[in-house]
Amino acid sequence: MTRDAVLQDLKGKFREDILDFSDKSPKRVYIEIKPEVLVPAATYIFKDLGARFHIASGLDARTHLEILYHFSIETMNLLISLRVKLDKKNPKVDSLANVIKGANWIEREIHELLGIDFPGHPDLHRLLLAREWPEGVYPLRADYKEWDKKAIRDRGV
Amino acid sequence: MSVTLKALLKSPWVFHLSTGSCNNCDIEILDCLTPRFDIERFGMKLAGSIRHADVLLVTGSCNRKSMVRVKNIYEEQVPKPCVVVAVGECSMSRGMFVHSYNCPMPLDKYIPVDVYIPGCPPKPEAIIAGVVKLITKLKGTL
Repeated sequence: MTRDAVLQDLKGKFREDILDFSDKSPKRVYIEIKPEVLVPAATYIFKDLGARFHIASGLDARTHLEILYHFSIETMNLLISLRVKLDKKNPKVDSLANVIKGANWIEREIHELLGIDFPGHPDLHRLLLAREWPEGVYPLRADYKEWDKKAIRDRGV
Repeated sequence: MSVTLKALLKSPWVFHLSTGSCNNCDIEILDCLTPRFDIERFGMKLAGSIRHADVLLVTGSCNRKSMVRVKNIYEEQVPKPCVVVAVGECSMSRGMFVHSYNCPMPLDKYIPVDVYIPGCPPKPEAIIAGVVKLITKLKGTL
């Protein structure tokens, strides 16, 4: 398949669910989809198109939280980033870990650092943060406040 | 001067401990062991285990998880007397990570530090000068 055929295929398959399609450059495509269809879309790209799942990146934007799932198809030198925008009040998106094994840890990391819930994840416990870290405090949120009373934030000079 | 301390100063064995550094300080420390700087002429060498070491050399920005291990090593595993050397800006004041959620306190609030070697990273000459100063200081006090 060529690059154009793949993109036409994706557009045709998820016509109603693609909210935004931006063809940034010959190497890079951003596709914003509805959170409900993330699992079928990612499964299609991963299994049927034979793409490689690189990583997911979470972001706390002004109006929403978003996750970008980065896939690449090496034979056509193409990076596809699936973008889902989530509600700040109740951020929740279905887990990819059952389809793509490599998504397991990055979802755990996004869960603890940004507080996004992944229903369907096999084992959503803490990955990196320390044991004494309180529940419900997410360090990479824009509204994060210092919770540790013992922390020293000057250089002592 | 006690026999233990005399032996310690004759040939201090160094245990190199990184608490999440960017590896630049670690590279400079390893540079000290190369023939160009040759820190072994002061009897110093890297020990493979903390239980063989006289000097605990700490690099890195002291994050929450690694400091549990550092405290454990300093309080329970290292044979005393032991001197602690903080190498690099990160282990002294956390450098650019001073406002990081994961680096609440500098190293000297967890364990007593004897020598601070500033720099990002410090030059091998600075590291050697720091450790030689430490040896002179210990010789002078006892």
